[in-house]
Amino acid sequence: MKRDFKKCVTFASLLMLLLLSIGGVGAQDPVTITWWTLASAESPEPAIRAVIEAFEAEHPNIKVDVTIMTESAYGDLMNTTLGAGEGAPDVAYFWETPWLPHALDITDRLEADPDLSRDDYFEHYFNTRAVWNDRVIGLPFTVGANFVMYNKDIFDEEGIDYPTADWTPWDFIEIAKALTDPDKRRWGGDRPRGPFRAVFKNIGATNPYSDDSTTVEGYLNGPESVEAYTWLWDLVDSGATPTPADIEVLGTEGTGPVDLFIAGRLAMATLNNGHMITARNAGVNFGVVPEPHVPGKDRYVHGWALTSSIWKETEHPDEAYEFLSFWVGPEGQRINMEIGALVPSLPSVLAEYPDADTDYFQGFMQVLDAKQTAEWRAAHPCWRGAVIRAVSDAWDLIMLGEIERDEVQATLDAMVAPGQAALDECVPRLGG
Amino acid sequence: MGLGANPAMLSFWRKMTPQERRAAKTGYLALSPWMVGFAVFFAYPILATFYFSLTQWTLVDQPVWIGLDNYVRMFTRDPLFVSSLKATTLFVVLSLPLKLVLGLMLALLLNLKIPGMNVFRTVFFIPAVISGVAVSLMWIWFLNPDTGVVNTLLHYVGVQGPYWFWDLNWALPSVAIMSIWKVGGAAIIYLAGLQNIPAHLYEAAEIDGAGKWRRFWRVTLPLLTPTLFFQLIIELIDAFKIFTEAYVITKGGPLKATYFFLYYFYEEAFRNYNMGYASALALFLLVVIMGCTVFVYRTSGRWVFYEN
Repeated sequence: MKRDFKKCVTFASLLMLLLLSIGGVGAQDPVTITWWTLASAESPEPAIRAVIEAFEAEHPNIKVDVTIMTESAYGDLMNTTLGAGEGAPDVAYFWETPWLPHALDITDRLEADPDLSRDDYFEHYFNTRAVWNDRVIGLPFTVGANFVMYNKDIFDEEGIDYPTADWTPWDFIEIAKALTDPDKRRWGGDRPRGPFRAVFKNIGATNPYSDDSTTVEGYLNGPESVEAYTWLWDLVDSGATPTPADIEVLGTEGTGPVDLFIAGRLAMATLNNGHMITARNAGVNFGVVPEPHVPGKDRYVHGWALTSSIWKETEHPDEAYEFLSFWVGPEGQRINMEIGALVPSLPSVLAEYPDADTDYFQGFMQVLDAKQTAEWRAAHPCWRGAVIRAVSDAWDLIMLGEIERDEVQATLDAMVAPGQAALDECVPRLGG
Repeated sequence: MGLGANPAMLSFWRKMTPQERRAAKTGYLALSPWMVGFAVFFAYPILATFYFSLTQWTLVDQPVWIGLDNYVRMFTRDPLFVSSLKATTLFVVLSLPLKLVLGLMLALLLNLKIPGMNVFRTVFFIPAVISGVAVSLMWIWFLNPDTGVVNTLLHYVGVQGPYWFWDLNWALPSVAIMSIWKVGGAAIIYLAGLQNIPAHLYEAAEIDGAGKWRRFWRVTLPLLTPTLFFQLIIELIDAFKIFTEAYVITKGGPLKATYFFLYYFYEEAFRNYNMGYASALALFLLVVIMGCTVFVYRTSGRWVFYEN
C-alpha cells in the first residue's frame, strides 16, 4: 500500500513537471532585443519600421525595440554605455575605432549561416568595415564612394573628350586647365580634400608611415609621397580649381562642391553617389569616372560603409545575430533601398537598384571593386587623429600657395619630426 | 575625524540657544540644494577631471594610470599645445581691448537721450543672444572673399579685400572682428553702470567748468571702473574659451592660425579619443584663466574706484 502510494506520488509529480514544462513553452515570452539606429535619406524611419515588421513576422519569438536618434546623441550614448559596460544596445552601428573592441565576434556565426556569407558583400567594403583584428565584428550596411563627376555639356562645348578610367592625375590637371573659363566664372576641376586619399594612393604614395607603425621617415617624405604632394602643388598652381575659401563659401557644407557642379561652375568634381542622385534630380547631364590613377599602380577608392555590430555583452547573441543578418542582409537592405535611397553593400541587391542600368550608375559600380583607402587606415587608427593632423602644415602650405615647387621635399622633411612624435604618442594608446 | 566630532564645533553648537540651533538648521537646509548641486555638478567633475588627467583613457575603456605623463607631454613634446596656446593668447590680446573699448563707446552712445533709443538698445543687444553657430554662418557670408558685403564695399573704394578666414594673415583678426559683433551684450552692462552714476556729480563738475572730455575722464570713467572690472574678467574668460568660430568656420586653419586651445581640446577628447590628455589640457586652461583672473583681481585695488 505504501509502495503504491509512493508510485502514485512519483507519477503525479512527473506528470505535473511535464505539464508545467509544456505550459512553460507555450507561454514563453518572446525575446526582446534593443536596436539603436539613425534615420537618414538612405534609411528613413518608415524603412526602419518596415524592416522590424518584416523581421518580426519571420521571427515571432523575437521582438525588436528600436530607438532612433540623432547622430550626436548616438555618439554620446554609445560612448557612455560602452564605457559603463551596461545599457548598450544589442545591435547598433559601431563606427568609432574605440568602440570596435566592444563588438561581438561573429566569425563563427557567419561561417555557420546557411543564408549569408562574407562573399555576398563587396569584398573590400567587407574587409574594411566588418573585419577588425582578423575577426568579423559586424556587417557593412550600405556603401558609398568618391569618384569624379563630369559635366558632359561643358566637355561638349569645349570640344574635349570625356575622361575614361585610364586617365592619369596629370591628365586631370590638363583637362581642368582646358575647361577653366574665368569669364564664365568656371573652374575645370576641384582639389582633393585630404592627403593619402584615392589620388595620392593612385600615384603610389601609399601611407604616411610604416606598416608596423614605427617610422615616419621615408614614408611621409618618401619619393612617391613627394610626387603626390608635387602633383597637388601643380594642381593648385594651375589656377584651374577653386580655393578652399571658394569651396567653403560657395559649396555645400562638409559634403563637397556639389552645388558648384550643379551650377555649372565646376566642370569636374570629386563627389559621391548621394550627389549623383542630387545632380540627376537637378537635370545635369553628367558622367562618372573613377579618380585618376597612374598605370602600374594599384587603384584605390575612398569609400565608406556603416559597421553594424552586436554588443559583446548582449544577453541575446543568437537573437541579435538573427536580426543583424536580416537587417544588413539582402532582405533588410532591399527594404531600405525600396523605401529609402539606400545603396546596398550586396552586389546582388545593388543590381536591382532603380538606376542600375544608367551610364553614370555603371560608372559608380566600377569603383566599388577597387581597393579601399580605408584598408590601411582601418588597421592604423593613429593615421588621422594624430599623424595627419600633426603634419597638416605641409598640406596647408601647398593649398595656400605659400611654398615653391622645389620646396615640397624640404617641407615634408620638416614634417617628419612632428609626425613621428604624434605617432609615438598615439600607438601605445590606440594601437598600431 | 568628522566635522560633527570637532570639539570646537560641538562647543559652539552647545552654546547656541535652541532658537539659534533651529535657525542654523533651517539655514543649512536652505543651503543644501546649492551645496549638493555644487558637489555633484562642479566639485566632482573638477576632481574627476584631475584624476583622468593622470590617466590614459579612451572614454570607452577603463582609465590606465600614467601619473604625470600627460603633463610632461604637454610641456615638453607637444607642438600642437604650443600652437593652440599661441593662437588663443593672440586672440585674447587682440579681441579683449577691442571689445572693452568698443563696448564702452557703444554704451556711451546708447546712453544719449534721443527718441527711439530703446529700439537701438534692443537692436544692438540682439547679436548677444543669437546662437554662435548661426552668427558664424552669417559671417562666412559677410566675409566671403568673392561676393561678401565687406569685400564688395572695399572694392567700391578701390581696395582688394583679403581672403579673411582663409588668409594666413587675416584669419585670426577676422575671428577677432567677428567677436566685436556681439559687443552689444557688454554695452548693456556698461549702460547699467553709466546710469548708476549720480547726476549731481556731473552737475557739480559742470559748475566747476569741466567740459565733456573732462567730465568723461574725471567722473564717468572712475565711477565706471567697477563695471569695467567686471567686464574685463567676464570678457577675459570668454576670450580664452573661443571655440565655435574655429569649429564652424576655420577648422583651426589655415596653418593653425586659428587652432584655439578649446578646439585642440575638443579634437583630442572627441575625435582622437584621448580623454586623459584632454583632461590635462582642460585643467591647464582652468589654471591659466584662474591665474589671469587673480592677477586682474589683485591689481584692481589700484584702478577700480568704489564710490563708498
